[in-house]
Amino acid sequence: MSVDGKNRAFAYPTKAFFVRMITRDINLEDCILDLIDNSVDSAWNQEGSCPMGLGDGANLSRYTIDIQLLPDQFVIRDNCGGMSLDNAVEHAFSFGRNATADRDDFSIGVYGIGMKRAVFKLGRKVKVRSTFTQSDGSRLAFVVPIEVDTWLQNDAPPWDFDIADDNPLEENGVEISVSELTPGSASSFNSPAFVQNLRRIIARDYSLHMQRGLKIRLNGNPVVGWAINLLQSDDFIPMRVEYTDELEGDTVGIEIIGGMAAPPPESIDPDEGDDGDRRFGWYVVCNGRIVLAADKSALTGWGTEDWPQWHYQYAGFIGIILFTAANAAALPLTTTKRSVDTSSEIYRRARPRMREVSKRWISYTNQRKQALDEARKRESAAVSVPLASIAQRPAVTLPVLVAKPAQKSANVNYSVPVSRMKKLAQEFGNINMPYRDVGLRAFEYTYQDLVGKD
Amino acid sequence: MPSFNVVNYSLRPSKSIQRQLVFEGISKLKASLDFERQVYIGFGSIWFTDFVLAHRLLGIDDMISIEANEVGYHRAVFNAPYATVRVLHGLSNEVLPTLYSDGSICTRPWLVWLDYDYHFDETRKEDIISIIENSPPNSILLVTFNGGEMKYGKAPDRPARLRELFGAAVPDDLATNSCRDERMQQTLADFALDLIQSTASDLARPGGFIPAFRLIYQDNAPMVTVGGILPTKGAVTTAGGIVNNANWKCRPAKPIVAPPLTLRESAVLQSCLPSVERLSRDAVRALGFDLEEDQIETFQTYYRHCPTFVQILA
Repeated sequence: MSVDGKNRAFAYPTKAFFVRMITRDINLEDCILDLIDNSVDSAWNQEGSCPMGLGDGANLSRYTIDIQLLPDQFVIRDNCGGMSLDNAVEHAFSFGRNATADRDDFSIGVYGIGMKRAVFKLGRKVKVRSTFTQSDGSRLAFVVPIEVDTWLQNDAPPWDFDIADDNPLEENGVEISVSELTPGSASSFNSPAFVQNLRRIIARDYSLHMQRGLKIRLNGNPVVGWAINLLQSDDFIPMRVEYTDELEGDTVGIEIIGGMAAPPPESIDPDEGDDGDRRFGWYVVCNGRIVLAADKSALTGWGTEDWPQWHYQYAGFIGIILFTAANAAALPLTTTKRSVDTSSEIYRRARPRMREVSKRWISYTNQRKQALDEARKRESAAVSVPLASIAQRPAVTLPVLVAKPAQKSANVNYSVPVSRMKKLAQEFGNINMPYRDVGLRAFEYTYQDLVGKD
Repeated sequence: MPSFNVVNYSLRPSKSIQRQLVFEGISKLKASLDFERQVYIGFGSIWFTDFVLAHRLLGIDDMISIEANEVGYHRAVFNAPYATVRVLHGLSNEVLPTLYSDGSICTRPWLVWLDYDYHFDETRKEDIISIIENSPPNSILLVTFNGGEMKYGKAPDRPARLRELFGAAVPDDLATNSCRDERMQQTLADFALDLIQSTASDLARPGGFIPAFRLIYQDNAPMVTVGGILPTKGAVTTAGGIVNNANWKCRPAKPIVAPPLTLRESAVLQSCLPSVERLSRDAVRALGFDLEEDQIETFQTYYRHCPTFVQILA
């Protein structure tokens, strides 16, 4: 028995693999973010592709990305300079980045799969239009129409898509429209909650770009980016350090900022119905894009290595770590760009610095419980400052508070059905009264009734 | 106190107009959609006004009324207008789950009208979500609830309360002004529809949800009625075509606030209608009496649906 004549195993991919399989590993929101990333990368490219740190002063205010989610169609349109014909012919439509692609552009695109994966996830009929200015100064417009079902019919190489002349777009940019939506896309676009949640994600993940002036519109309405600011005073001074690291020949710039964004909560009870700690925690930013926001999990260290689990008591803290690299492959981000790759050496080496500032904040929130009045007084003197204007400082400054003897207090913790809590709140005159206040009022009421005056 | 001890449901003119509009709308849908052997589920109380309309106008035989009150239940059984009306005793969130597995109705289209007197709260939300999750294809869901602003907390707290009740579809920047006076009912109607639509989409109901009903009316407290169709996939285009047609009357822009008129006033006004031109206040004065402009407009718009009440002295 020998392998004569059968000594090579076929390893060709099929088109269906790209259309039906890789689209399962990503959700619809992330696909749309991939397309926004392409637009942002184009805008960044137009501005000269410099490192995307906080202090570079790049202005993106002339760029707009317009997204329409309609019951039967998806459209994303930008004025970010457009895709060149050479790029379309050689790179943009191939599956995976080839070796000749430019990797030194400080973009967020790493794998060369985002656009294809996104449009396949969205629908069956795709049109990619681009208008750009050629090196001789003339404008050129082309369109790449993709009929997915037709394209799937033949797996034989070469795999390619037709490129045709097109009427120019109003401004240089790219327009991607997808119709014959997949059932999942159609039902999601029909959901007001989906659209609102997408708006929230865009507002958060592109907030640093929007702070530089980038405009994003969703279904005709502008998305307002999160304002990520820290508080500063003589007692509270955020840390800010910058350094570089190396990974297999690539240089990665790292910037860490951390401190108080808001005074810690008055109560340590997390279920008061407010979403008070929603914006606190760690932010991980890769080439300008927030890939992890307000994280309170082990991904950013909480609950690992002598570092406690996040607790509502720690609300008020914001830490931001920014990674910038000419070659996006050196960044610690996952393929969906919605999380951090914790196995990345660059990231692992940065973690101790993140831990230091977090631990300082934890210690402060413990101290402040014993000297609340003093803490509140000092916290109220701190004012909000934009991230870019925070000065370099190796460690965060927080006040040292001396504990004042206080009357020994008892903490009470019990659960009741929300409906009963709301009814009691309503009887106290305000259905939205915080649960804590309802509890205190109920205690005072019973105390007066059964014990009387002290 | 149960509302049947407070007022006879049928004596509320704005509610009556609203009910007529809804049933006429469903009647239009019925002409094109497959509502074969439709089942009516509602809160018939002891008056069963909506049940009578469902039987007379829509020809629905099988009807289920849910009644929580002990005395009310016995009175409802006594007052059931047709042999095919079943009265089930219990709260809606207890009774509804038993219907989802009721073999006699669980494969037939439902017309469910959750006509609450209460404001929208977590319990109503649970009822609505469970209906969307479990009702058969081609069902119609209608929900009525109290839209009085004070039921939703103090003005500055209302956006947060609406976020609790209606979930992710409520924008983070919802303005307090959108939760005041008559704007509150519009806001509640929009978010209630968004909640239903989002729930149906997130569940991937094959035909999703087609919003069709959005009516605000006021006899005493301002009330909000919203609803729509949970169609089969094949019925989506037809249903959408009907409810998005300009002739669809179940999404009036203005609240329905019916003027209380005497029999004589009503008859004299009616004798001037229909009319293409708007009846003016001067024209009403010329008839020998007077009404506010908005009362005249409401009467002209809904005179075909306006009930007239008279006291019979026997």
